Parts: sequence; structure tokens; C-alpha cells
Amino acid sequence: MEKITVRLFGAAADRAGTREVELASETTTLDELWSKLADRHPELSPMRPTLAFAVNDEYAGGDARVEPGDEVAVLPPVSGG
Amino acid sequence: MFAIVEEPIDVGALVSGAYRPDCGAVATFVGTTRVDESGEARVEHLEYEAYRPMADKKLAEIGAGIRNRWDVRYVAIVHRVGRVDPGEPSVAIVVAAPRRGPAFEASRHAIERIKEIVPIWKREVWSDGYIWVGSQVGTRGAIRTT
Repeated sequence: MEKITVRLFGAAADRAGTREVELASETTTLDELWSKLADRHPELSPMRPTLAFAVNDEYAGGDARVEPGDEVAVLPPVSGG
Repeated sequence: MFAIVEEPIDVGALVSGAYRPDCGAVATFVGTTRVDESGEARVEHLEYEAYRPMADKKLAEIGAGIRNRWDVRYVAIVHRVGRVDPGEPSVAIVVAAPRRGPAFEASRHAIERIKEIVPIWKREVWSDGYIWVGSQVGTRGAIRTT
């Protein structure tokens, strides 16, 4: 089965100790995918209220659909400029 | 023109590239890296990372939004990633418009939107550890809360 690639950035990559995680999943939602990610990297859980997410390069909410082959990004508060 | 670059930003070239005969105003905003101090510790340099290509896409969206809202004829936004030493430009915005009002307003809007929606992150590397700005995650003993 094709996997869902989760990319981590900034403080989230720092906390998890990795920049990329592959999760096996059927079609799911961002919220459900987050649960799987937090199971594997519990150190991310405290950051949850501060995080935004993207699916295939676009911001997405917790009920957004995620399919195998998609790329999900875990985005801490942005701090460019 | 929208770009995320690893090398120093040539602000002069960016500004002169915006001159146009149909415009009477070129507004430029340059964000530079500031050295903060806290007790004995100080920021030694900053490191930026971007989620590409989403960050490129969001810069272009900001540019398109500006052109819909104001009468501007040219917008360039360049953001640097990687290590940036103190006092160097990390972002440059250049807007050319027929009139100065829209040029000023649009350049202000661009930097505010960059800080809201463009997936770029800044890590301050201090003499006593580092901290991810905005997340307050890092290795400094005394993490700042402001």
C-alpha cells in the first residue's frame, strides 16, 4: 500500500528528531493521521495546539481528507521575515 | 518575481530592477537579522528553513493578492534561507506603483502576510544554545517567553 509521507519542520522536526515520517494508512483525515503520528512521536503532542498542517502544499484543517501517496506537512508557527 | 535563495540578497539590483516608466514610486522593505542580548548571552546568527515548494507558492499568492487590491505594476519578494549573519537582509520586498500610497501600503501588507502564512522558520543560534522563534523550543537554559 502506498504510504502517506509526513514532513516535519522547525521546532516539530527538532522535537521529533526526524524530518520525515512515513505512515501506512488507508484514506483518512488529518486528525486521525495526527493520532498515528503522535503515537509514534509522543514528544510532538505538547505542540499540538500551536501546529498548522498542509496537505499537498496547501493549508488544511483537521477534517481534511488524506489519501495514500499524499504529502502532509507539520507546520509550527511560522517565523519568517 | 518571487524567490527563496540561499545566497545573500542583492537588494540594490532588486530595487533597480523595479524601475518602470509607468511608475512614479518604488517602495522597498528590507528585513534584517537583529542581534538580541539576554544577560551574558547574545544571538550569534540566525538560520532559516522553508517548506518548499509551498513557501514559493505562498509568496506568489501574496504577490497576486497585492496586484488584485492595489494599482501596483511590479512586485518582487526574495526571502533568504540557511545561515544569515547579524545585520544582513533576510527578506526584501520591492513594489513599484504609479503612486506612492499603494506602493507603501502593498509593501507593508507583503511583510505582514509573510509573517502569517509563508512556511518559513527562524532559529536563533545564541552563544548558550538555540531557540526556534515562535515555538520557544530549543536548548537554551533560560528560554525567553516573549
